[in-house]
Amino acid sequence: MAVDVIMPQMGESIAEGTVTKWLKKIGDAVKRDEPLFEISTDKVDAEIPAPAAGVLAEILVPEGKTVEINTVVARIAAEGTAVASAPAASGASKPAAAPAAAPSPARTAAPARAAGPAPAPSGPAPAAPAAVSGGTLSREDLRRTRSSPVVRKIAAEHGVDIAAIQGTGISGRVTRRDIEAYVGGGRGAAAVAAQAPAVAAAAAAGSVTAAPAKPASSPAPLVFKPGEAVTVVPMTAIRKKIADHMVASKRTSAHVHTYFEIDLSGVAGLRDRHKKAFEASEGIKLTYLPFIAKAAIEAMRKFPIINSTVDGDNIVYKKEVNLGIAVALDWGLIVPVIKKADEKNLIGLARAIADLGERARTKKLVPDDVTGGTFTITNPGGFGGIVGTPIINQPQVAILGVGVVEKRPVVIDDMIAIRTMCTMVLGFDHRTIDGADADRYMALVKDLLQKANFSELGG
Amino acid sequence: MPSIPESRYPVAERPGEITVAPLTLERKKELLYWLKLDRALETQLANLYKQGKVLGGLYRGLGQEAISVGSACALEPGDWYAPVIRNIGSCLVRGVPLRVMFAQYMAKSVPMQGRDNALHFGDISQGMVATISPLGGLVSVMAGVALAFKIRKERKVALTYSGDGQTSTGAWHEGINFAAVQNVPFVLIVENNQYAYSTPVSRQCLVKDLADKAAAYGIPGVVVDGNDVLAMYESTKRAVERARAGFGPTLIEAKTFRRLGHSEHDDARKYVPAELFAEWEKKDPIERFERHVLEEKIVTRAGITEIEKRIDAELAEAQQWAEECPYPQADEPSLMRGIFAEN
Amino acid sequence: MAVMTYLEALRQGLWEEMEKDERVFLLGEDIGVYGGAFKVTAGFTERFGEQRVIDTPIAEAAIVGAAIGSALAGMRPVAEMQFIDFIACAFDQLTNMAAGTRWRWGAGVPMVVRGPSGGGVHGGPFHSQNMEAYFFHTPGLKIVQPATAYDAKGLIKAAIRDEDPVLYFEHKYLYRRIKEDVPEHDYVVPIGKAALRREGGDVSIITYGSMVHVALEAAAQLEAAGVQCEVIDLRTLMPLDEEAILTSVAKTGKVILLHEDRRTGGIGGEIAAIISEKAFEYLDGPIVRVTSLDTPVPYSPPLEAVYMPNVDKLTRAVKQLVAY
Repeated sequence: MAVDVIMPQMGESIAEGTVTKWLKKIGDAVKRDEPLFEISTDKVDAEIPAPAAGVLAEILVPEGKTVEINTVVARIAAEGTAVASAPAASGASKPAAAPAAAPSPARTAAPARAAGPAPAPSGPAPAAPAAVSGGTLSREDLRRTRSSPVVRKIAAEHGVDIAAIQGTGISGRVTRRDIEAYVGGGRGAAAVAAQAPAVAAAAAAGSVTAAPAKPASSPAPLVFKPGEAVTVVPMTAIRKKIADHMVASKRTSAHVHTYFEIDLSGVAGLRDRHKKAFEASEGIKLTYLPFIAKAAIEAMRKFPIINSTVDGDNIVYKKEVNLGIAVALDWGLIVPVIKKADEKNLIGLARAIADLGERARTKKLVPDDVTGGTFTITNPGGFGGIVGTPIINQPQVAILGVGVVEKRPVVIDDMIAIRTMCTMVLGFDHRTIDGADADRYMALVKDLLQKANFSELGG
Repeated sequence: MPSIPESRYPVAERPGEITVAPLTLERKKELLYWLKLDRALETQLANLYKQGKVLGGLYRGLGQEAISVGSACALEPGDWYAPVIRNIGSCLVRGVPLRVMFAQYMAKSVPMQGRDNALHFGDISQGMVATISPLGGLVSVMAGVALAFKIRKERKVALTYSGDGQTSTGAWHEGINFAAVQNVPFVLIVENNQYAYSTPVSRQCLVKDLADKAAAYGIPGVVVDGNDVLAMYESTKRAVERARAGFGPTLIEAKTFRRLGHSEHDDARKYVPAELFAEWEKKDPIERFERHVLEEKIVTRAGITEIEKRIDAELAEAQQWAEECPYPQADEPSLMRGIFAEN
Repeated sequence: MAVMTYLEALRQGLWEEMEKDERVFLLGEDIGVYGGAFKVTAGFTERFGEQRVIDTPIAEAAIVGAAIGSALAGMRPVAEMQFIDFIACAFDQLTNMAAGTRWRWGAGVPMVVRGPSGGGVHGGPFHSQNMEAYFFHTPGLKIVQPATAYDAKGLIKAAIRDEDPVLYFEHKYLYRRIKEDVPEHDYVVPIGKAALRREGGDVSIITYGSMVHVALEAAAQLEAAGVQCEVIDLRTLMPLDEEAILTSVAKTGKVILLHEDRRTGGIGGEIAAIISEKAFEYLDGPIVRVTSLDTPVPYSPPLEAVYMPNVDKLTRAVKQLVAY
């Protein structure tokens, strides 16, 4: 029995993912957990490991295509299975039974097409178009990729990729009914329901982004328009997703920012005293971030509204603090999450932060690493910025921005002193957090950091 | 007109039972004119062919002019005819303008948009049916024309020509048999010029006189000297009037000889015995008739010269006209026009 | 209205035209005294006389030739080929003499050549053929094939009144097997217009002649299986009603060309090419032909059943195409 390989959900608001690279070809042997393909989503780029050992029997979603989460992107057959092109599905295929896919989340940032009942083919399922490297395409491949004139015409008219649709015709071909249902279904569930179950009722198993249909995968070539002083660069998938997310967040939350100057001299002293030993025993550097994270988490106990989310007319208080740490990468921004960060001590936080950062940079994050965050810390000061106006990471309600840590002259007891200072900003959602709450929270964070009472490290 | 018995004539009918009034002198002069016009026109067409202005092929009837002219003169204006390739003389007698003759051979837009060549043209209003290249079918077509006359009880006659080779085709046989058994007003002139392309008539069939084939159909078969225009006129006239009177078809065999090749691009001297040319030159129909009209004092030598001058002028004018005549409209819509009545 | 067979409807059409127009006359073998091999012209001689109902010799070339000549001279002949197979003997007359006449020298040939075509009657190779393909290819000949009694009457009238040569191929299998209500007044079925016999959205079956009935029977069976067939009865083969064909193809995207004539060079191939050229963007599957095999028409009944299309073969082809 073949094992389905699905598009994972990399983040709770994620509705879809783009297959960016297949690391194996059809017929290759696959070990369990061996990297099988790479994806790009709103949140993260990741390598996805194979769920089972065997032989890669089918690739249903080619590189560059975006599909809904939980879409079957490939199938792994038992070891030793001979893999050939799939024979034609049985003649009059009947409408699918129970939907194989879970319905997409009702509340999504980017509007996704409504998924109808995903077809559950009975017989051997048709193979997805394999990447052809120089060889001629078989008839089956041609049926799947080129389908028929009318299907191509409809696809072109609606900017739909035929390969994104599950076909019910022979060889898995997308029939006219398939694409008509797909195109009609995208306009609402009602349209899908209205499709009379004819000989081959089908609905889209995949979906496309709201953006017009060129799924970006590998960087497109630069386009220069003569006569204009511009260079046109198409966005990568992750950039598009960030763009969508940022704008959506601004539309969703009532962003307000409050700034606090915090004296980190005490923390700095602690750091100086312990960092060598820390590095020796942990193998990682001791930065300011674990201290700030600890303080932020502690303060949340008093102000649980900071660790909540808005659901319609409800405020949902999260019991655990899943702390997201924003990491800037060459190719974009991701926010790995330290799960149950409230249970970790300073050292645990330090470890987690270092680990996530490392894995983010080497693309070794798993879906769990980027889902479930309840609060985010971002570090605009990494490049010397004093402070920023961060955008809340939906569906959270607050985000802490940490400015540069530097020595500044301050007034203490009417005297000028040189202290290690840091300006921090809390971006918060004024739908549920009032200014007073935000300031009280930040005042507590400031207090905790300035007292620098981090017992784990010793005095 | 003598009274014609109501019963059919017996098979072995010979000239005499229908009297044909002798031709008037005027009429004889006309015959001479047509004969000479026919020859002069064909000679000029041959010149034009060698100049590349007449295209495709040219099929002349040198020495056979008496058959076409004599027979055509025996028709009434309302009668229908269908010439085959060497019957240019019949077209001239029946009123096809010289301009049209030149233009047709020069593939111009007149008279039929250059859609078929040589004598493959027709005009319903003039009772002229166009022939086609596959031989034999025209006989039953003209029998059908005669059938229409019969059904409508019209006193009209249909006439067509056939070469000696054509008599071998099944279609010819079906056609003449049909005409005979249906007793339609039809006359068939078999022009036996002794060669069908390179095939002598002795290889067409074993019958010496093709007129004898008429017996197989129960109709009169008449042998005529094809190079005697008066004999051609008279025998055709008799047959036509017999048909008009309701006594059915006659087969006339006109004995003659093809003095040139099958076409202008065929040299018959390669396969025809040389002595035949000499023998038949002596029997030239136009020279014979000129002698006759001179002897009968119907025309003087000066008169003949007059006729020749007139012919030259007419030909020159017609040729000029045809040379200036445009080629057919050459585009797809024009070419597609006329397949059905609707377009 | 009266219930009559296909043959009776044809007969009535001929009769009415002969009454109406004295230019109309019949010629053929055994049509007068005997009333025709299938009795299509029974009683005509008594009513119209020997002059207008002519018993000819066995001479298909002369029969057609004489029809051509009389048509040129202003008559409206209807020439019968006793079995349409024998029209081959008149091939020269039809293709070289009649077809191009108007195009070549502007003269119309308003004649009809008619005769019983088709198989299914154990007639063997020379009494069962469908001959349309040979003449379909020749510009200047119109070809009609009625499938219903109503059309048999309406089309013979249209054919006789047409200014151009019309080949009227009636189907002998249908002669006495179909009975319909046919109006007894004068009416004409236009040449060049197909008839939509059944509406459906899944597949278009384009057909003519006796196969129309096979298609309708198959369509009824397929409906029970959830397949909706559209059946187009061409009625006229030349000129084809391209609009009707293409409209149906655009609607269903899947098309089966069904004819009793043999496959290779049958007019199905031409229609397929037209569809491919003009309706390519609407196709959701290959264009499929269901035809007889490329052999002479066999005599023995089990052989003939294998040779010809039938409901079973058609149903299978439809199901396969619908699944594509």
